[in-house]
Amino acid sequence: MKRYRRVWTVYRKELIETLRDRRTLMAMVLVPIILYPVLMVVLVEALKSEAGRQEKEQYFVAVPDEAHKAWLEKVFLREEAAREAEETAASIAAEKVGRSAEDATSAFRTQLRAEQITINVVPEDQLWDQVSTSRYHAAVIIEPPPDPKRPSDGRNRVVQILYNDTSPLSEVMHRQLAYVLSNEMDRIVRARVRDISGSEDLLSPMIANTISTTSPDRQFAKALAMIVPFLLVTMTVTGAMYPAIDLTAGERERGTLETLAVSPVPVGQIVAGKFGVIMTIAMVTTTLNLASMTAVIHFSGLDKLFSGNRMEPASVELGVEAEIFSRAADESGMAAAQRDNLQRRREIERESEKSVGFIASAAPIVLVSMIPFAVLFSAVMLAACSFARTFKEAQNYMMPVMMSAIVPAMIVSYMPTVKLEGPMLVIPVANIVVLMRELFLGNYDLSAISLCLGSTCFYAAAAVVVANRIYGNESVLFSDVGSYKTLILRRFMRPQQRPSAAFSLLTVATLFPLYFYAQSGLVDLSAGSTRNLSMIVASQVLFFAAPVLFLTWYTKTDFAETFSLRVPRPAHLLGTMLLVASIAPVTLFLQSVQFYFFPASDALRTMQNQMGQLVEGAPWYVMIVALALTPAICEELLFRGFLMAGLKDRISQFKTILVVGVIFGLFHYQLEKIPIVTLMGIVLAIVCLRSGSIFLAMIVHLANNGVGVAAERFEFFRLWLDLPEDATALPPMEFNIRIAFFLAILIFGLMLFAAKPTRRSDATSPALA
Amino acid sequence: MTEPIVDVRELTKIFPTTEGGDKRAVDGVTFSVEAGKIYGLLGPNGAGKTTTLRMLSGLLTPTSGVARLNGFDVREQREEAKRCLGYLTASTGLYQRLTPRELLRYFGELIDMEAGAITRRIDELIHWLDMKEFADLRCGGLSTGQKQRTNIARALMGDPPILVMDEPTLGLDVLTNRVVLDFIRAEGARGKAVILSTHYLDEAESLCDQYGLIHDGKLVGIGDLATLQAQAGKRRLSEIFLKLCGQDEHVLTGVPERSAGGAA
Repeated sequence: MKRYRRVWTVYRKELIETLRDRRTLMAMVLVPIILYPVLMVVLVEALKSEAGRQEKEQYFVAVPDEAHKAWLEKVFLREEAAREAEETAASIAAEKVGRSAEDATSAFRTQLRAEQITINVVPEDQLWDQVSTSRYHAAVIIEPPPDPKRPSDGRNRVVQILYNDTSPLSEVMHRQLAYVLSNEMDRIVRARVRDISGSEDLLSPMIANTISTTSPDRQFAKALAMIVPFLLVTMTVTGAMYPAIDLTAGERERGTLETLAVSPVPVGQIVAGKFGVIMTIAMVTTTLNLASMTAVIHFSGLDKLFSGNRMEPASVELGVEAEIFSRAADESGMAAAQRDNLQRRREIERESEKSVGFIASAAPIVLVSMIPFAVLFSAVMLAACSFARTFKEAQNYMMPVMMSAIVPAMIVSYMPTVKLEGPMLVIPVANIVVLMRELFLGNYDLSAISLCLGSTCFYAAAAVVVANRIYGNESVLFSDVGSYKTLILRRFMRPQQRPSAAFSLLTVATLFPLYFYAQSGLVDLSAGSTRNLSMIVASQVLFFAAPVLFLTWYTKTDFAETFSLRVPRPAHLLGTMLLVASIAPVTLFLQSVQFYFFPASDALRTMQNQMGQLVEGAPWYVMIVALALTPAICEELLFRGFLMAGLKDRISQFKTILVVGVIFGLFHYQLEKIPIVTLMGIVLAIVCLRSGSIFLAMIVHLANNGVGVAAERFEFFRLWLDLPEDATALPPMEFNIRIAFFLAILIFGLMLFAAKPTRRSDATSPALA
Repeated sequence: MTEPIVDVRELTKIFPTTEGGDKRAVDGVTFSVEAGKIYGLLGPNGAGKTTTLRMLSGLLTPTSGVARLNGFDVREQREEAKRCLGYLTASTGLYQRLTPRELLRYFGELIDMEAGAITRRIDELIHWLDMKEFADLRCGGLSTGQKQRTNIARALMGDPPILVMDEPTLGLDVLTNRVVLDFIRAEGARGKAVILSTHYLDEAESLCDQYGLIHDGKLVGIGDLATLQAQAGKRRLSEIFLKLCGQDEHVLTGVPERSAGGAA
């Protein structure tokens, strides 16, 4: 209780102090509440005035002679007449479907009016220069030149438009000319067809109409899903940055850290309180930003501006299409199904008009998904700032940390096809950004969400532990006590028995995403089994065994102690033999129990099939080495060796076994495999921790994996596991005397480990190294 | 003779140097302090005073040796040992955006005092250290003297039996200096053990009951003034100090001596 009260005391005090700081308040409150509305209003106004300016501007077009001029002027007038007719048709159609004429005709307003365009005659050899120097916005040369006496002479012509890329007005004019000329061509073609066949129907063998099944809300959400996660990530890190610096380096610089360090409060509790404040500020900043953004979008009419691009064309089309539909229906009487769709579309639009606005309804869930991210970055920032002695130094450290949040967020924002699957589930930062996008789009995949949030929490926990360790370190606490090089360079390391909890957790947390990256590189069904199996071995060695062996050497840590390199006692050896005999059938049975209650997903089946294809055709001994022996050695070295050695001094035996098991489970990122692998990890942790010998854990691990692999080739193992004939099918759940027998052996085996506390007498279990 | 409340034996701290070697900042220091006594840990800059005091207050972990505060081992029973101790230096900062009253409450809560006890203790300290007029202003705006008084109050919040003061008067003006020295005297008189490190030898001479002269990480002289005088054969503390450090002969080498008449 006291512990929590102290953490609360630190939290409350730091929060009060932070909130009394004008700088924090500025960043946290003022920016979102005042800056956003102002910025957005300015943006909206700027866009409006830009659009307005284009409408009012006079445009100049140069032509080589009067014939050109006369022709072009006529074309513009014809275009305007046609447009007016279309506008009238659209507003009538829009009224039919209950829309305002204003809405329906607004789309046409982006076109220039004839009176905005002035056409002048300029000598032919000057046309280029006149346009390139921006005196004219465009020039038009027609070959052969138009004949004023015979406007429709039936000749085909080539039209050349000169324009200037660097001038925005020239670009507008260029687009307008291209548009008008293509319409003119359309009219000419129609006229020719009419002349020949007497009607235009020849030109319309088919009328295509498109109806989006997504509500305008969702269309808007899609646009927001690109940008909002990125903005939120940026806001969260900026919000957390200042308090993170102030609460660590700031405190050190002001000389108050010493007083806190001499108080009888363990470092962990101080760090926990500070961490809470940083996280609170980060979340408050994010919430305020999101709220302000929502309000601004809602009230400023920015969504209207968006809908200018997204929603209204739908209505316009609707008006025009309604016309077409009714025509088609009248003529053929076959459009009933199409009319139903049109009706549905209208309903969707009416619905979305009534709803509170999508962003407002998506905001809460997006905020919730931001929490693990805030946890992670608060912890990372706390850890990074704990290194710094001054405010300035901390600011330098913050740059890479912020980049590591913002850059992945930005990259993922620009990759809309990236889905939340495979390694993406566990890549820090990127997974949260993708998750938020999916949530925005209304996609909920529970297993993906939980793995995504779970892995983020795992990284966050590791970062908190590291922050804890750095914060309390004396060479960081006092600048006159050597430099922090002493923490990094090997020659300053002092020989130690076991790695610290922080160090082992950090190592595992770092290897976690790396290992997934490697795993995703593995899946290459086209490659041969030799390559795939050697990749599996390589990834095990490179990401599990090699790093921890190297780090143990580098930090001058005792190998025998860290990796429990001990000769086991006879009783434990017997226990191991019992586990060897029973572990594979029992795990298989538990798996079938799980799938009985929670049927296996297609994803898992696909993955298992892929696994089968990956190794197809490999000799059995190669498979044993790659899939059983290598994992047994490498995974044990990492989890039951390095990780467990770090944890067991810090937390109780029970917790150590549990944590090692759960982390081991997490590494097998198929959600459905996590429970069984976790149980397996727990059994192995018990074996290693109680016997003090990693070799026994390796043997049990080898037995579990090895029997599974061998059963694919040897009848004996197949009988042992009681596998069905069909190798791809998962065995059905069936509790029988056989399973009861194996369960009894397993439990008895485990009891041999649990029965007596290990006596670490050196006579019975001497360390090997 | 009463039991010493501070008991330090063979305390050693070794720091790795950037060149890869070892530096023995404190080397086998042994001393003890009884309740009600003021102990002066004296020595030049870099002698190891601060490192010794930091080990006593649990900020640094000793490389070897034992230090007990009120019977609690600073390494094994860190929290309990810290509860027996108030710590003060001249460079100790205050939380700028808290008032002295809030600051004292914070530290009271950190040492698990009851809410009522905290309020009573704060009122007591405010009265005793004459802090009434600034107790509810933010610390950021206080004068140096007011800050140092707040700091003293912080160190005394839990009424610890041992006070550790590391150069408490360094860089203070005459007036504030006076406040601090008076407070040390008063606390000594109230039966607390005070360990004071300073290199102002005159100040120490007027305050301390016992001395430990530290040089290059080692204690070169221990005892009361009379003992040290006898040991060194000198009268003033500064002379004793130079003598025991083996520096008395060399200090003025190379400086041309004036005639006796001129100096008088």
